[in-house]
Amino acid sequence: MSNPMVAAGFWSQTKGLGPYACFLGPLLLVPLFIQSPYVIDLLILCNIYAVFLASWDLLTGYTGQISFGHSLFIGAGAYTAGVLNFYFKVPPTVTIPLGGLVAALLGLALGIPALRLKGPYLALVTFIASAIPAALTAIFWEYSGGEDGLYGIAPLTQSPLLKYYLSVALLVVCCGAMLAIVKSQFGLILLSIREDETASAASGINTSLFKVVTFTTSGFFAGIAGAFYAHNQLHVGTEELSLSLSILIVLMSVAGGMGTITGPIFAGFLLILLNEWLRFIEEFRLLIYTGAVVLILLFIPKGLLPTAKALFKALLARIRRSPQPEAAGEGARSLNRAASKQ
Amino acid sequence: MNVLLEILVYGAVQSAVYAMLALGFCLIFGVAGVVNLAHTTFFMIGAYLIYTLTSLANIPLPLGLVCAIFGTGLLGIAVQHFAIKPLIKSEYSVMMITIALAFFCQELVLSVFGPVDRNVKGFIDEKLTVFGLVDIDAQRILTLVVAVLLIVLLWWFINRTKMGNAIMAVAQNREGATFVGINATRIFLVVMFISACLAAVAGAFIAPTVGARPHMWENPLVRCFAVVVLGGLGSLEGTILAALIIGYTEVIVSFTLSSYLSELVILGIFMTVLIVRPSGLLGRRQEA
Repeated sequence: MSNPMVAAGFWSQTKGLGPYACFLGPLLLVPLFIQSPYVIDLLILCNIYAVFLASWDLLTGYTGQISFGHSLFIGAGAYTAGVLNFYFKVPPTVTIPLGGLVAALLGLALGIPALRLKGPYLALVTFIASAIPAALTAIFWEYSGGEDGLYGIAPLTQSPLLKYYLSVALLVVCCGAMLAIVKSQFGLILLSIREDETASAASGINTSLFKVVTFTTSGFFAGIAGAFYAHNQLHVGTEELSLSLSILIVLMSVAGGMGTITGPIFAGFLLILLNEWLRFIEEFRLLIYTGAVVLILLFIPKGLLPTAKALFKALLARIRRSPQPEAAGEGARSLNRAASKQ
Repeated sequence: MNVLLEILVYGAVQSAVYAMLALGFCLIFGVAGVVNLAHTTFFMIGAYLIYTLTSLANIPLPLGLVCAIFGTGLLGIAVQHFAIKPLIKSEYSVMMITIALAFFCQELVLSVFGPVDRNVKGFIDEKLTVFGLVDIDAQRILTLVVAVLLIVLLWWFINRTKMGNAIMAVAQNREGATFVGINATRIFLVVMFISACLAAVAGAFIAPTVGARPHMWENPLVRCFAVVVLGGLGSLEGTILAALIIGYTEVIVSFTLSSYLSELVILGIFMTVLIVRPSGLLGRRQEA
């Protein structure tokens, strides 16, 4: 591998993967350094939430179909897995894909009527649609366990370490797939729909098809993660269908940076860890947490990750500044450009 | 016969509360294009303020009521000025910040008052018999009367006063209104004040019958959406009609079947109407 051309070819192939590796590397190595089951469980939760948030971002951030009812998909996945495993002893290897499938079908069912709705209407309808399954679990409480839900769902595996790596695999596969989607031509089309639906329809894109497919895909990934969550908690309950979960997902994703996939994943990790860290002041934990989210929305409206990226780029430009004064101007300009692009 | 009359009376009370809540929501959306997801938070804060003022601090009822309602109205102005105004260009950002504020207020109330239900002292503790057959708390009838009065007052304010006309002008065409010298930003503050006051009245008057809880904003928020979207976002007449439909449906299903089902029936009606007629019952036929 001494040939510089070959090396350059290799590096150009992996170009842009650096940040992902920086993120994934420590995630894979964590169990070597931290044995505490508490931290490992927390990171498993982060991994699952990252998939929830990324799937929301695919639907709302990328396609601009604002959804306030993501718990519909998560709950559908979780309850599918929970009911199948609880009553029919179906193993997780089957329930998790099935959970994704059911949520995808729900996405299809919601995506088609959603075609007729725009803006706030769609947001309010998804909000209300997610209240329907919660009402259903109350009516069929004999089967769903009502408010308490179902306890005693089979764990994924007995080994905590294996469970951790399974959750990392969930993160890598699901978020990797979503990132691949948004980086492909498909993602470009979604962006064009978000920016100007009429113009994309005029250039021959079947916007309805793309919107419904995105609803279905987003539902699928959320459902898979929901089913995984049920097997991780060994329990399904109404909290997986609740309004609060939907809202939490919206807020976390927006805090991280909508329309980036990576932003919400970052925010998922950051906010869940912040939330745990605040436990030493249990009484005011959620107050501080929600207050922080309000402040982020008000003062960092682009989201944490894009803003951090822009700052980092500006810093890098300043460090690399060459002696010519023009280059300094270039640095400042790139800061402006980075800021205006976000 | 008795059940029918009961349905008639209780349905009217329920519809009146929904109408009061939904009108404020509808008004601020119609005028400023703001989808205020913190709207029922004002309802909750109204309830907690009346609890603090009359049940804890023992302030006389009329004074406490005025303080609770105006206090919530001022909070509405603060929310509009500090949180909504900087983000008003993007309706999504407004939805996000208002729902974040709603969460924040819930946590605030939780850490101040704790998770338990608080019983609020009734305004009138008597029971009434309406139509000679239906026994009902006087408090509920009072709520109904106040709601009807307020709705009439709101109608008068919007149609007969200069400020009301200015509000409608901004709703119809913001640029045009600005050209003739109406300060749209100030109008938004006025509308938010009215909207928050209406929600606070609903909260303060319903609190003695249902109590005050930190989660009391969630369910009404869903109902409020159902009413507003069903009636057509931005249409005041449609909102009142939809409040009657939702209120009566809820009471009828609760009385005849079960209260669990009422939620489902409402959501079912709502989804059906929306799929058939996305702009709502009396909404303007145009893309939302």
